[in-house]
Amino acid sequence: MKTEITADQEVLYIDAISTALSDEMHSDPSVVLMGQDIAGHGGAFKITKGFLEEFGDKRVRNTPIAESGTIGIATGAAMLGVKPVIEMQFADFISCGFNQVVNVAAKMFWRTERAVPIVIRLPGGGGMGAGAFHSQNIESWFLHTPGLKVVAPAFSGDAYRLLREAIRDPNPVLYFEHKFLYRRERSTVDPSSLNDRIEGESRVLRSGSHITTVSWGWMTHRTLEAAEILAEEGIEVEVIDLPVLSPLDLEEVFTSIEKTQRVAIVHEATATGGFGAEIAAQIGDRSIWNLDAPVRRITYPDSPPPFHKGLEATRIPSPERIVSELKELFQA
Amino acid sequence: MDEETGGVISNPEQPASNQQSSRHIAGESSGSLVEMHAYMRLAREWDLRFEKMFRTGALSKWYSSIGNEATTVAAATSIEAGDALLTLHRDSGAILRHYIDIESVLPGVLPEITSTRKAVGGDSHARFFRLTCQMLGRQAGFSCGHERSYHYNLIEEDNGLIHIGMISHLGSMIPVAAGTAFAFQQQGSDRVAINFIGEGATSTGDFHEALNIASVWKLPFILVIENNRWAFSTPASQQYACASLADRGAGYGIPGIQVDGNDPAAVLQVMQSAVERARRGEGPTLVEAMLGRHRGHSEGDDSLLQVPEQELGEYQSSDPVDLIEKKLLDENLLTRDELNDIEERCAALVMKMVDEAMSMPEPDLDQERRILED
Repeated sequence: MKTEITADQEVLYIDAISTALSDEMHSDPSVVLMGQDIAGHGGAFKITKGFLEEFGDKRVRNTPIAESGTIGIATGAAMLGVKPVIEMQFADFISCGFNQVVNVAAKMFWRTERAVPIVIRLPGGGGMGAGAFHSQNIESWFLHTPGLKVVAPAFSGDAYRLLREAIRDPNPVLYFEHKFLYRRERSTVDPSSLNDRIEGESRVLRSGSHITTVSWGWMTHRTLEAAEILAEEGIEVEVIDLPVLSPLDLEEVFTSIEKTQRVAIVHEATATGGFGAEIAAQIGDRSIWNLDAPVRRITYPDSPPPFHKGLEATRIPSPERIVSELKELFQA
Repeated sequence: MDEETGGVISNPEQPASNQQSSRHIAGESSGSLVEMHAYMRLAREWDLRFEKMFRTGALSKWYSSIGNEATTVAAATSIEAGDALLTLHRDSGAILRHYIDIESVLPGVLPEITSTRKAVGGDSHARFFRLTCQMLGRQAGFSCGHERSYHYNLIEEDNGLIHIGMISHLGSMIPVAAGTAFAFQQQGSDRVAINFIGEGATSTGDFHEALNIASVWKLPFILVIENNRWAFSTPASQQYACASLADRGAGYGIPGIQVDGNDPAAVLQVMQSAVERARRGEGPTLVEAMLGRHRGHSEGDDSLLQVPEQELGEYQSSDPVDLIEKKLLDENLLTRDELNDIEERCAALVMKMVDEAMSMPEPDLDQERRILED
């Protein structure tokens, strides 16, 4: 549900997304929402509830079940002045529109110097027992593709700001919003400082001298929990969040490693070819002489998300598992 | 770019004679036939030239538009400045028709004709030259050497030119074409988008998804299937089992019209009514232009060997350029001398463009090509 945002007011993650959409639609009449069941129904997660009444059926478009067609139409329209924001009902479904993203939209500027200002919202991630086709973390499919920007906010403030900035950015932006955080994450939003481009961002959320961690989305919250537990045992973790994955800015990470000499990457996506591998490689390139232990990746195993919540919980890095792996890293 | 191209091509050739410009062709349909013929001939000479360059090794790849000229020129004649054109690799006729005012590049080549069509503006000669540079992978081409032949966009809003090129994944530009129509609809304009596709790509999911959404949203969109019966080496009988692809229109709740793609007047008539329907806000039309395979998938592959000899002969005996020239002669619209003169002048112009483009610099190997807009 969209909400009035005032300074210092805490806002639910899901409401931050809804409000960012609404605020940007008010500020830019060329913004058009497209997606399955987003009009009268308000979307599978009710993020656009009431938008049809407020903005009309020209700007809030239910689409047929046709991800490829929808992304392609958004791309063509974006080349001629429309600013489409597409809601994938679930991030997993973007595979049906994969070619439009990676070959049509992502390469358009390089091919022809014509930018494609589309945003694709991708409700992703697990934790709710939704099974293999409603729970995946697929950011690395797109991080391997030049020509896209990719964001994965962990907090309401970043969710609000990055969505508005994504809509203003002239390039295609994939906006990963974590379903588990929708109604669990609540923090302050500052609507006053907005850029008109997505740029690389990394942020030290907690200072520590023993271990550096790098994470995004839900895993940033779990890493913070783990850091709290480890602090009681005298292990100080420096927790770095990456709200923006592409463009990637790891300067804070390299600086932190000079101090801690140990680093772990925590992500919910599967291990092999996951974005942690790229971050580990860049750390190897830049910081290997500062490391006292191998770079550790704490991830999902290489398997699809199971349906049973208990089973699923054994796959997703838990605070306990993060604690245990960071302890091993500390002792390595 | 303009500095590089400006000096070379600023002076169009003077007409060999002004004999033709003194003639007047009465009636818009006769005039449009004469005009379409000139573009068909220009496109034919364009492709013949590049085919020859391929054979001599001067060009690494060529996809020929030969045999498609009637459909592509007529379809592009049905749109005006401000409309969107999306093309494939067999659409040189549409591109030349849309980009170039033939009278400004070949003065006097047309008799005096009546036309109310609003063409795109800008410098036809400079655009033609850059197009030639694009085909030859020169720095002065639209993609500065990054993308081959027709894989580029040319959007000049001030001149009413919106041309979006293909990617190699056939079918995947159909939704993009429908998207340009969606932009026109959102902006409340009466502009339309036309898009070409081969019969092979009608098997893709994007064909279905785009036409379905375009119909549900009543987008001002016309999809022209250039059905030359062969997709690379696969015959239509192995591609689809419906009696006609135009029949698929009914499945989307839109008109599906089959037309003789070798008859430019027939294609123009079908396209004009589809364009008018789109401008009225009544939604898309599917047009199936029946053509024949004249060349391989690309020059240099042997896919044409799959086409039975008799079938190939039938296609060759209904060559659209031959047919329109016969018609122009039969109807006393042009004389044989005039046809010969047009052919010679088109060939000379293409030759001059190509020769000058060949002397233009190769792509700058140190150039930075941005991936994202800053």
